[in-house]
Amino acid sequence: MSEATIERAPPRPHLRSDTLGLVIATIALAALGIALPALGASGYIRTLVYYSAFYLALGQAWNIMSGLTGYLSFAHGALSGIGAYGVVIAMNADWPMGASLAVAGGAAVLASLVIGATSLRLRGAAFTFATLFFQELMLLAVRKLPFAGGPGGLVLEQILPEWIAYVGMILLAGVATIGFALIRRSRLGIRVLAIKGDEDAAASIGIAATRLKLILFCVSALLAGLAGAVHALFTASLYPDVAFSVDLSLIALAVPLIGGVATASGPALGALLYVGLREALQLIAPSAHLTILGLLLLVVVLYMRDGIGPTLARLIRRSR
Amino acid sequence: MTAILEARRVAKRFGGVVAVRGVDLTVRQGELLGLFGPNGAGKTTMFNLIAGAFLPDAGQVLLHGRDITREPAWRRARLGIARSFQIVRPFRALTVLENLLAAIPAHGGANDAASALALLRRVGLEARARDAAGDLTLGMLKRLEVARALAVGPRLLLLDEPLAGLAGQEAADLLRTVQALKRRMAIVMVEHNVRLALPVCDRAVVMDAGAVLAEGTPEQIRRDPAVIRAYLGSEAA
Ligand SMILES: Nc1ncnc2c1ncn2[C@@H]1O[C@H](COP(=O)(O)OP(=O)(O)OP(=O)(O)O)[C@@H](O)[C@H]1O
Ligand SMILES: [Mg+2]
Repeated sequence: MSEATIERAPPRPHLRSDTLGLVIATIALAALGIALPALGASGYIRTLVYYSAFYLALGQAWNIMSGLTGYLSFAHGALSGIGAYGVVIAMNADWPMGASLAVAGGAAVLASLVIGATSLRLRGAAFTFATLFFQELMLLAVRKLPFAGGPGGLVLEQILPEWIAYVGMILLAGVATIGFALIRRSRLGIRVLAIKGDEDAAASIGIAATRLKLILFCVSALLAGLAGAVHALFTASLYPDVAFSVDLSLIALAVPLIGGVATASGPALGALLYVGLREALQLIAPSAHLTILGLLLLVVVLYMRDGIGPTLARLIRRSR
Repeated sequence: MTAILEARRVAKRFGGVVAVRGVDLTVRQGELLGLFGPNGAGKTTMFNLIAGAFLPDAGQVLLHGRDITREPAWRRARLGIARSFQIVRPFRALTVLENLLAAIPAHGGANDAASALALLRRVGLEARARDAAGDLTLGMLKRLEVARALAVGPRLLLLDEPLAGLAGQEAADLLRTVQALKRRMAIVMVEHNVRLALPVCDRAVVMDAGAVLAEGTPEQIRRDPAVIRAYLGSEAA
């Protein structure tokens, strides 16, 4: 952008530099993550980075819908499961990877349209119940569907080099984070936060709440579906009870809530914290990841309502 | 003068309470119409019916002759009906500026922030543009409420007790701002502070118990015996 445009541009609601800083930091971290293998990082470190990116992508997808609108989704695990099954079924039918990923994302968006069209017109908990119902329904359905392999699941026939999923997930997490930041400061972001604040007041100024909620849910589902799809390339095998487990839905929701809901950087903090703690406690309590998540959430909800990130930021500002 | 809004025999009940019982109300282009009446008279309910916050049990609402009785609130706002709320309802998590940006209709221009700032200047909130709306005092929130309704670009502005809770000078300033808006849009103002508000109105309607008690110029209203008995009492005498 030229000097002249900057001068003429009216003041923006958020400092341009805030968003710019976040974009630069995101790109830098993603580049570092992608470079780690070349820098000699062990397989263990790579796995931790990969899972942080996976949970960040999912958490950021959730943040775009539920963080901005206040309508809580418990279906992000199922949306990512749909993406996972979509990509594996398409690739096993010899579709190219790009087209298969598009199928995966498209299927998740379609699912979000079905959930959203039936429940986003209503206020309150209708959407949350619809997402919970959908999450359970998908698990039951996929166990029964023959083309989804039934309870035994599916295996990705093609053998892919490990770096594809690794790089793909880091890129996706970066895109989701930057996407959130851009949406948050856009006109759309301001208007959905108005809906979250007071839906009647939002209607009184001409905001068509149902439509905006549905748009965000579609964007959110696209990201969740792609995250699930890339993760399927990583694991190369799918079991309905894993791909559609409610655990993933809880992680998608907890990551932003812990780190800082409705902020761009919060989910990154939440994902790192969750993966770090889970690893640290792996030896003591190998299958306690949900307990860890629950405890973290409890502490945050009790002591720092906006999440760890914003609370820290406030403390730092106050101590200056 | 032509009517911009017509409510025809609108009625609304809440359970056993009849809040509005078949009221006719006409708002003319460019006028400042005062809507007065004691507590529970049905003034806010009339606003809710006109703005579409809820649908009437009976009757019709017409904007420029077009039937909007069944239109949802957000579409009425886009058709040019904006309102303020009696109890302020700011978007507390947004900045003051964003509260207005949320309301400005989409036209893809970069001028939105400039027009939002101009509106804030008009109500004296420019210096608070970047503060969270949740940090404002009640007096400021009352002014933000008016500015946000103006950001919609209304042809009909409904103000529900804009002066309530404002200190003397603040109230006088806001009233002057409202007066200055007249002609460019029609305004209906509900006010309990009759002494301050009635003189600036072109016309006034007095409601009581869900029905229209009197209608006329400020002078006629002031002298109406039914009004004096039911509501104004010694205040207007
Ligand atoms: N949403 C609602 N639910 C139930 N009753 C309501 C509702 N809104 C209004 N009422 C009732 O309808 C009647 C008219 O209320 P309304 O708020 O329209 O009066 P008002 O003239 O604005 O009074 P005030 O001057 O106190 O604001 C009252 O008896 C009120 O209790
Ligand atoms: Mg009222």
